[in-house]
Amino acid sequence: MKNRLKVLRAENDWTQARLARELDVSRQTVNALETGKYDPSLPLAFKIARLFEQPIEDIFTDTSVSSR
Amino acid sequence: MTESKLESFWVRCGLGTASGRRAELRLAGMCLVWALSLTGGTYLIKSDLLPAGPISWAVAALPSAVAVFVLVEYTRFLREADELHRLIQLQALAFGFGGGFFVIIGYLQFEKLGAPTVGCTDLLTVMPLLYAVGTLVGWRRYR
Repeated sequence: MKNRLKVLRAENDWTQARLARELDVSRQTVNALETGKYDPSLPLAFKIARLFEQPIEDIFTDTSVSSR
Repeated sequence: MTESKLESFWVRCGLGTASGRRAELRLAGMCLVWALSLTGGTYLIKSDLLPAGPISWAVAALPSAVAVFVLVEYTRFLREADELHRLIQLQALAFGFGGGFFVIIGYLQFEKLGAPTVGCTDLLTVMPLLYAVGTLVGWRRYR
């Protein structure tokens, strides 16, 4: 799963710590999400989408589908 | 350092959320109380400082009573942890419990072949050790 979290965070000029606070997760979680080491749960993905006011599919891309 | 600055530091270091931090501190405190009650109780019982009877039994039962609170705090800690830390804990528990079980069973085979006999209590320490290793591996993996 790919995501645009790092780009969106940069657009808002937020640090990882700030984004972590907004999402109520640890900075380690934000870092793992941005580096693609960890895929978020559906509730967290919705929370991210709400925070950046974008549809989930604009933020997350299922690479297994797009590579077919 | 004020509470908010400490929480901010905690989050900046990626050590968890503010509520997770409080749960971790409560758990660490309860683990410390358990360890003290176990070592203190063992010392008192082994050194024959206690009169035989209900007091000895109460001292012997104290670590088990404290352990209930440790488990309650650990459950609370898991509830408060964010989803990545919950995953790390799940993997660490699997590593600690599963790995420990297989190490113990494996060593018992060697004992049959003449390896030094190790007490059950000593063998069980493998589980928390492997749990700690599993936690560290998880932290490194997702850092």
